[in-house]
Amino acid sequence: MFRTCDITGFKVDLQSEKLIRYNAVFAVISLLFAVVAALLLVLTRYQPIHLLGAEWYYRLVTFHGLNALIFWIIFFEIAGLYFGSTVILNTRFCSPKTGWWAFALMVAGLVITNIIILMGKADVMLTSYTPLKAHPLYYLGIILFAVGALIGVILFFGNLMIARREKTYGETMPLVAYGLMTAAIIAVITLATGAIIYIPTFLWSLGLINNIDPAMYKLIWWGLGHSSQQINVAAMVSIWYMTSFLSVGGTSINEKVSRSAFVLYILFICLASAHHLLTDPGVSSAWKVWNTSYAMYLAVLASMIHAFAVPSSFEVAQRKWGYNKGLFQWLSKAPWGNPAFSAIILAVIGFGFIGGTTGVIFGMEQTNIIVHNTIAIPGHFKGTVVIGTTLTFMGITYYLIPLIFRRKIVGFKLAQWQPWLFFIGIALLSIGMIVLGQLGVPRRHWDNTFSGGPFTHNFNPAVDFFWVITLLGGIIAFLATLIWILIVVVSVFWGPKVNGPQDMQLTISPLPPEGKPHKGFEAPGTLVLTFLFLLVFLALFFLNWKWLAATWNVN
Amino acid sequence: MDQEQQPESKPTPFYRMIMDDFMLLLFLGVTIYAIFYLLWGVMELSNLPGIPDEIKQNLLK
Repeated sequence: MFRTCDITGFKVDLQSEKLIRYNAVFAVISLLFAVVAALLLVLTRYQPIHLLGAEWYYRLVTFHGLNALIFWIIFFEIAGLYFGSTVILNTRFCSPKTGWWAFALMVAGLVITNIIILMGKADVMLTSYTPLKAHPLYYLGIILFAVGALIGVILFFGNLMIARREKTYGETMPLVAYGLMTAAIIAVITLATGAIIYIPTFLWSLGLINNIDPAMYKLIWWGLGHSSQQINVAAMVSIWYMTSFLSVGGTSINEKVSRSAFVLYILFICLASAHHLLTDPGVSSAWKVWNTSYAMYLAVLASMIHAFAVPSSFEVAQRKWGYNKGLFQWLSKAPWGNPAFSAIILAVIGFGFIGGTTGVIFGMEQTNIIVHNTIAIPGHFKGTVVIGTTLTFMGITYYLIPLIFRRKIVGFKLAQWQPWLFFIGIALLSIGMIVLGQLGVPRRHWDNTFSGGPFTHNFNPAVDFFWVITLLGGIIAFLATLIWILIVVVSVFWGPKVNGPQDMQLTISPLPPEGKPHKGFEAPGTLVLTFLFLLVFLALFFLNWKWLAATWNVN
Repeated sequence: MDQEQQPESKPTPFYRMIMDDFMLLLFLGVTIYAIFYLLWGVMELSNLPGIPDEIKQNLLK
């Protein structure tokens, strides 16, 4: 059963639409859990408040990690995969019944895991490094969730096969679907690695296996833990391309190169998991350097290609619409009133300048040592998964509400501000945490004063200032997330119905007219911004090496 | 009629055949990761010498 969307003209499988809706709803619920925990955690780590006791601190670190990095992200990605493989490819859902089974498994996993954590039976944090042992139901919950997600990914490939067989798309898959296919392939790698490590750990927690080697556990677990975040990267970049197309009619200036960049992700991005083991003595430098440098840089190259291709797609389209004056008129005349557009542009900036730069610097064996196991590492995550992926997912939701849920966005004025507020909050939080880490503040530590410990440490006095910045950023980001959740929930459940294009608050742009052929660069503004990015990156790179050199007095 | 069908029978370029074959890309992605990250890492950890018994006994005391 299909309906034809009166706004986009897409053929929408009704079963697929229902599955997209339910997965998206559970994504939002997970995000709510994650941010409530996040606020309590930041209020605990800020020493003058120090809200929670040690037990609840570690309990909520576990709860926050799973809900933010696993449940929120993967529920949303499964919704995205179903959208990409049916709506964008104009095809039917291959097996809706199996889709509902997958969904049920994922929900069961979420419920079981969260209950066990809140009962205090799994204070092991997201990584659950052995020999820390949680209740068997904790591992079972994660396994159920992962099996459900894996079925969802297999259904995505099933939909792709139908679309290909029935020739529902042109000569080649659209770029957005291609990016989602990349995310799905990375998801297979991730979930298979998850099975390799979580099934024996589950048996160990039941007492059926005597021992899990901690070094082996860490190696394999990070194949899951880090690669799962690479699913986000591929899904996020796909949404960037989609938003450029929807908001200004932008397309990649060289689709072949953009596709090649996605292939580089498939081949090399999962190897970057190795940088979590950079200070582990068990693996050799050759293994570390190959996986975190030579191979990973090919994935970094892919990100740089996308970082140029996405803004340039906006620029070229805007120039074709006539915003051709100077270097940046295309940017100043961009549809900033469209919250999806502003969210994506802010996500690109934050992901590149904060997440990307720190990712490369912290991912190197040498400079990693300055920040390893400090709060700078979760600060880096905030610059990738939160300011990048979460803000992108928030942005595209503003399109999903009218197109998939068929409701108008309630509080549209607030929605226009929300991405900016979230960006400011997370940028402050992330930068605050990164600087704190550079000043030696540890991560996952309940008490910054080390009270009652065998030793103490006097931090640089600047630490106090950056704790305030971190707290401020955390509170602003929390409020911005609540605003987003409120807008989404009220719009989806009580918002006025969308009856046609006249009710659409966000623009769906047609393709821009073909511009006159011209000499010189296609996207000079983006080129200037790229050089600015490279300058910032070089400055940070140099600063970190200088910092490293100053750590030891070498004569 | 024949002239109309001609563009359809144009052979797909090799580059696009590779790029569009998601099973091949899945195979390559899994294989590269399995060899360089997993197997290589597991082999290195498996070949680590065990803790000498003397030290082990001291630690377990």
